[in-house]
Amino acid sequence: MTGELGRLGTVTWLSFRSGLQGLRAVGLAAFALFPTAIVAAIASAHPAAGTLSNAALDLFSLLTLPIVAMVILLVLAVAQFRTEIDSETLVYLSDRSIARPTVVAGKYLGAAGSALVFVVPAGVLPLAVAILGGGTAYAAAVPGAVAEAAVLATIAYTGFFLFLGLVTRSALLVGLLFGFLWEELLPLLPGDVPRITVIFYLRSYLSGSIASGPLSGYSGAVATGAAVAVLVLVPVAFLVLASLVFRYFETAPEKESA
Amino acid sequence: MTGVVEAEAVTKRYGEVLGLNGFSATFSEGITGLVGPNGAGKSTLYRLLAGQLKEDAGRLTLLGYPAWGQGEFRRRVGYCPESPALFDWMTGRDFVTTLLRVDGFSRSEAADRSARALEEVDLTADAHRRLRVYSKGMRQRVKIAQCIAHDPELILLDEPLNGVDPVGRAALSGLMRRLSASGRHLIVSSHVLYEVERLTDQIVMIANGQAIAQGDLHRIRDLIDSRPHVIDLESPDPRALARALGGWDHVVSLEFPAPGHLRILTRSPDSFYRDLPDLVLREGVTVKAVRSADDNLDAVFRYLSEGRR
Repeated sequence: MTGELGRLGTVTWLSFRSGLQGLRAVGLAAFALFPTAIVAAIASAHPAAGTLSNAALDLFSLLTLPIVAMVILLVLAVAQFRTEIDSETLVYLSDRSIARPTVVAGKYLGAAGSALVFVVPAGVLPLAVAILGGGTAYAAAVPGAVAEAAVLATIAYTGFFLFLGLVTRSALLVGLLFGFLWEELLPLLPGDVPRITVIFYLRSYLSGSIASGPLSGYSGAVATGAAVAVLVLVPVAFLVLASLVFRYFETAPEKESA
Repeated sequence: MTGVVEAEAVTKRYGEVLGLNGFSATFSEGITGLVGPNGAGKSTLYRLLAGQLKEDAGRLTLLGYPAWGQGEFRRRVGYCPESPALFDWMTGRDFVTTLLRVDGFSRSEAADRSARALEEVDLTADAHRRLRVYSKGMRQRVKIAQCIAHDPELILLDEPLNGVDPVGRAALSGLMRRLSASGRHLIVSSHVLYEVERLTDQIVMIANGQAIAQGDLHRIRDLIDSRPHVIDLESPDPRALARALGGWDHVVSLEFPAPGHLRILTRSPDSFYRDLPDLVLREGVTVKAVRSADDNLDAVFRYLSEGRR
C-alpha cells in the first residue's frame, strides 16, 4: 500500500496525461503556436532588429499571457472536473478511498503540468523566432523571466479555473468573461483597481525581472516578491475552496432523473 | 438481522423529480438482485451507495457505514456504474491499474491485481488495447474488472450484463456466483428480469423510487397470491372455452388477445389448474396450450408494481 502522497502522484499523472490527449491537445498546441506565427510574420517583413525583439515581448504581455495562455489554462483546468462530471468518468475517482482534497490537488497539479507543455513554449518560442529572424539578442534574464511569468500564470489561473469547473456548469463561459472582461478591462482603470486582477501581478513580476525594454517600468508595479506571493496565494485559496466544495459535492450528473 | 446494505425511508430528489421516494430495504449477504424498470430509481440508489449522491432524507448504510462519506471503508466496496463512459485514451490494463493505484496499492501489487481482474473478465488478450476501441461488451467487462480488482467485500453492479453477448453473460454470471461463493456480497441490478432470476432468488423490487417487495422470490410469489393471475390459453375455439370458463367465480376477466388465444384473469390459479381438466372433459372443448404468465419474475414484478398504482 502507498500513502496519500502516492495516490496524489497517481491522480496527478492521470490528469496530466488526460490533458495531453486527443484533438483538444492538438488544437491547444496549434493555438499555442499563434504568437510564434505572428512573430515569424513580422520577421518576414524585415523590420529593424530592435523593433522585432520588442514586438515579441509586447506580444507576450498583450497576447500570450492574457489571451493564449488564458484560453489554454481555462480549457485544461475546467476539463478536470466539469468534463468528467458531464461524461460520468469522475465516479472512478470519487468512489475510491482516496481523500477528496487529494483528488483536487492531483487534478490541479496534473492540469497545471499539462498546461505548461503549451504555455511555456507559447511564451518562449516567439523570442527565439525573433532572434533567429534577425532581432536584437535579449539580455540573459529576459527569456527566463518570460518563462517564469508563463509558469506563474499557469499556477495562478489553473487554481481559479479548476474551482470554476467544479462549481458551475458554465465554467467555460464564466472563465472567458473573467479573462476578457475582468482581466482586460480592469487593468485600464485608474487607481488601485488593477490590483484586483491577476494580470497586474504578472506584469509587475515581468517589470521587476526585466531591467529594460517594453516589459519594464510597468506603471504602479508592486515588488517582484509581493507579486510572486500573490500569484501563489491565489491558487492556494481557490484550491482550499475547491477542496471544501468537493468534500460535499454530488458528482453524479444533475440531468439524471433516476 | 443487520443487512450488508440498509435503507430506511431514503428519499432523493432531482429538483422536482423524485429519484427515490422513501425507499426502505435490507440487502442481505450473498447476491441480491435489484429489479425494476428503467427510471425506477435503481441507478439513483447505486449512486447513493457509491457516495456520488447524498440522500435528502432517510438513512442509508453499507457495511455499517453511512453511504455518503469517504474513507478507507470505500476500499471494501466495488462499484460498476451503468454508464459506459471510460477514460478512452487509456488501455484496459492502464485503466484498472491506475484505479488500483488511486486506491493506494503499490505499483507491483496494482499490476498483479489488474492482470488477475482482467483475466477474470476474459480481457487479458485485449488489455493492451485502448478503451476507445472496446466494444460495448468489452467496456462492460473492463468496468467490472476495475470493480473487483481491489477484492472488495461488497460489489455494486449496475446493469452489469447490459450489452454483453450471450457467451459473455454466461461467463459474467459464473463470475458473480464465484464471487458470492467466496464470501463477497453482490447487489446486481437489471431491468431484464430473467438475468437476475438466473443469479439469485434474493431480490429487491423497485418501482417509482420505492421498494415494492423484497426477500426470497418464492415469498414474493406468496405475497401476490391474493392478486389476479394472468393465464393464456391456446384453443381452436377460444369463444367456446370462454363461455365455459365464464361461470367460474374466481375468473375476473376474459379477453381474446389474438386469434386462437384466450387470456383469463383469475384470483385462484390453484383452483383454475385443478378444475381445468374436468372442464375440458365435461364441455368437450380443446385446449392446445396453457401458459401462466406468472411463472417468471417479470410477471411478479408487473403485479407488484401495478398494485402500487
